[in-house]
Amino acid sequence: MAPPALDSLPAPLRSLRLKTKQQELLLRVSALALIYVLAFAVRLFSVLRYESMIHEFDPYFNYRTTLFLTENGFSEFWNWFDFESWYPLGRVVGGTLYPGLMVTAALLHRLLRALYLTVHIREVCVLTAPFFAANTTLVAYAFGREIWDSGAGLVAAALIAIVPGYISRSVAGSYDNEGVAIFALLLTFYLFVRAVNTGSLAWALASAFGYFYMVSAWGGYVFIINLVPLYVLVLLVTGRYSQRLYVAYNCMYVLGMLLAMQIRFVGFQHVQSGEHMAAMGVFFLLQVFFFLDWVKYLLNDARLFKSFLRITLTCVITIGTLALGLGTASGYISPWTGRFYSLLDPTYAKDHIPIIASVSEHQPTAWSSFMFDFHILLFLFPAGLYFCFKRLSDATIFIVMYGLTTMYFAGVMVRLILVAAPAVCLISAIAASATIKNLTTLIRTKSKSPQTTGKTTGSKAGAKGAVDQSLPFQHNAAIALLLGAFYLLSRYAIHCTWVTSEAYSSPSIVLAARGHNGGRVIFDDYREAYYWLRQNTPPDAKIMSWWDYGYQITAMGNRTVIVDNNTWNNTHIATVGRAMSSYEDEAYEIMQSLDVNYVLVVFGGVTGYSSDDINKFLWMVRIGGGVFPVIKEPDYLVNGEYRIDKGAAPKMLNCLMYKLCYYRFGELTTEYGKPPGYDRVRGVEIGNKDIKLEYLEEAFTTSNWIVRIYKVKPPKNRS
Amino acid sequence: MAPRSDHAGGSAAAPVATQAHFDSMDPLFHVLRVLPFSFLRPPRTRLRLPSNLALPSPMTVFSLILLTYFAVVSGLVYDVIVEPPGIGSAQDPGTGAVRPVVFLPGRVNGQYIIEGLSSGFMFVLGGVGIILLDLAVDRTRPRSLRASFGSAGAVAVLIAYAMAMLFLRIKIPGYLW
Repeated sequence: MAPPALDSLPAPLRSLRLKTKQQELLLRVSALALIYVLAFAVRLFSVLRYESMIHEFDPYFNYRTTLFLTENGFSEFWNWFDFESWYPLGRVVGGTLYPGLMVTAALLHRLLRALYLTVHIREVCVLTAPFFAANTTLVAYAFGREIWDSGAGLVAAALIAIVPGYISRSVAGSYDNEGVAIFALLLTFYLFVRAVNTGSLAWALASAFGYFYMVSAWGGYVFIINLVPLYVLVLLVTGRYSQRLYVAYNCMYVLGMLLAMQIRFVGFQHVQSGEHMAAMGVFFLLQVFFFLDWVKYLLNDARLFKSFLRITLTCVITIGTLALGLGTASGYISPWTGRFYSLLDPTYAKDHIPIIASVSEHQPTAWSSFMFDFHILLFLFPAGLYFCFKRLSDATIFIVMYGLTTMYFAGVMVRLILVAAPAVCLISAIAASATIKNLTTLIRTKSKSPQTTGKTTGSKAGAKGAVDQSLPFQHNAAIALLLGAFYLLSRYAIHCTWVTSEAYSSPSIVLAARGHNGGRVIFDDYREAYYWLRQNTPPDAKIMSWWDYGYQITAMGNRTVIVDNNTWNNTHIATVGRAMSSYEDEAYEIMQSLDVNYVLVVFGGVTGYSSDDINKFLWMVRIGGGVFPVIKEPDYLVNGEYRIDKGAAPKMLNCLMYKLCYYRFGELTTEYGKPPGYDRVRGVEIGNKDIKLEYLEEAFTTSNWIVRIYKVKPPKNRS
Repeated sequence: MAPRSDHAGGSAAAPVATQAHFDSMDPLFHVLRVLPFSFLRPPRTRLRLPSNLALPSPMTVFSLILLTYFAVVSGLVYDVIVEPPGIGSAQDPGTGAVRPVVFLPGRVNGQYIIEGLSSGFMFVLGGVGIILLDLAVDRTRPRSLRASFGSAGAVAVLIAYAMAMLFLRIKIPGYLW
């Protein structure tokens, strides 16, 4: 068939036939390009729906610092003391943030300007996360190819492009550290695995620089500096010690440590903090291991080596224990931080640190969050582990450990599904790729058997010529299963797109709801309030609010805040919590001591916005009560129940937060058929409808009553 | 291998070393020989590490990991921290009767214990189904076994996916068709 058809073609066109390898390369490059575009495009829902803007509360600080960096340069940025935050304390910015994200965005901005593409820095910030998500697909492909084969690499790239666990922190407008950090994390792991596989110093050096980039971008780098030594330890225990491992880990650890200490926020933590001691311990263990191996090679006498081994091990263990003990006792080695410890002991945060437990993304993970963020990858993950265990190598052991540790941590803290997402995608890709390869092999085997009837195609086939090993209906069954596999994968794609559209593309700052006719209703109260602050208050006004809104007030309102999302000073936050929880006269004294001019509260009773301050109020009580024993949680509850209606606790009905949220609300009819003062979030009629303010006056309430601003009256003259 | 054999050899060689002409390089050995053991006599014990002390096989480790995976995706950590009830209860608005509710409705990141375990079982069932499909492709097994594995694997994946989708739709009412 083929030769006659080719003969009919003109001679020049005949030479254009691609060889099989060239066809494969073309397919691979095309697939990767499409995946790259897909990873970028799927994250743009919010830009298309609303506009190009920063979404969440925290990222407004990142945007503000990036703006400062582009306008003033790096040295000014590095030495910046921000007096508009944490009044009256201020904040040393260069020493309290991870600069990787800001520097990356500033460099991209500079690059675009060099290409004469005049864009505002805000556009660069909004699209930084999708851009790095697209780059992560390339790293996932390379990683998958390193671990298994290029087919698994392609599947991994496709899965990670749309996995909701990763999309949740990398949509356009989510200008947060995780946007570039996940790329850096996966890149570091890929380069390290490649260094272990090749024993090349160059790849180890590259992984050290990848680690440096990760350290500059996100505090989650602690995971890398604990997983890699754990992996090295497992390789030693399983007898997979090799020169390659020695070269890779030594270079990565030493250079990575030196580079990490260049970041001011890290500094000497790398050699003083408890979280980093495991890496140092494994580094020294590796030296001892290599030294003993070398001595064993030199000494011919087995008896001499055994006595030497005993001496060396005794000395090493003694010195190590003494060093660790002295370091801990003297305070040189600091103990584990609360957040690190709460990952190891899940019940720790609930009992000891209310401010960690109060963050919604620090909650433990239910099965439905796993299903929501991973979909069919939850089936493919255990199958992928099976394939990895069937074909154990240094690389597959790494991905197994990466997958298992991150899945456990994702179970402890729902936010860490983000870190687990790349690992789950890689392991699932191995399962998907291997299964599809099995099925296609069955299909091709069956289709070739009629042609080979009566022929001997090999000694093995000849030996088994008399016995037919194929299953009944093998061909049809394989086709059916292959179609089933493609159906499941397509359902995965549909699920991911739906989740991205419905759940992860809504800015916290612009709220949307469904109206009566099914259309979207936009609530833009946050920006309305911040613009009011910017235009109607004195430039040196001090705003008191809960810390959720601090970054936005400084960035969009351009005003000084008492506390913000950095949450580095628990006492200061507790003071604000105490003010909100106290009676008006007591709160007034606190506000005077803090020099507060305006108080801002967020109230969802009119619109049904459930993330408002009334719903967060108990956390203010707990955090305030953690520092000031005068604040007691039972005072605000009735038989352990949190109520705001007539049956609420007296202190609840008269505390500052209640008064500010529900001031004049008792006159308002919010829902047809309900009495005035009906709270649409709590579903009840409020208990105190006739609120009188003595020390504050209402300054501004937004259109939908979501943000309310009150002016603190000056003290009365005591003449 | 080497470290373990060193240990066994070491313990076996210990009595011999005592009988030898004290040519060991170990300084601790000489000190100990003089101080306590010049008047104390060590008992003739032969401590040998069990010969079956070996690392578990990959598939054994995989089985344990599968159990751990089931615990995690069932939300066991959530159950430990939040301490939800096994099943919830809801009051019928019409009759006022209280009836059990297996699924905590409306909240993506919330669960009761039973629904978590059920869902986790489905996830593991789906994974095991895919593993059975791989075992069915192995040509070294008899035909009937391969056919059984293939059928069981396909059915397992089908059931797991259908049930997981059902659970998700109960959990999230607006979930796409």
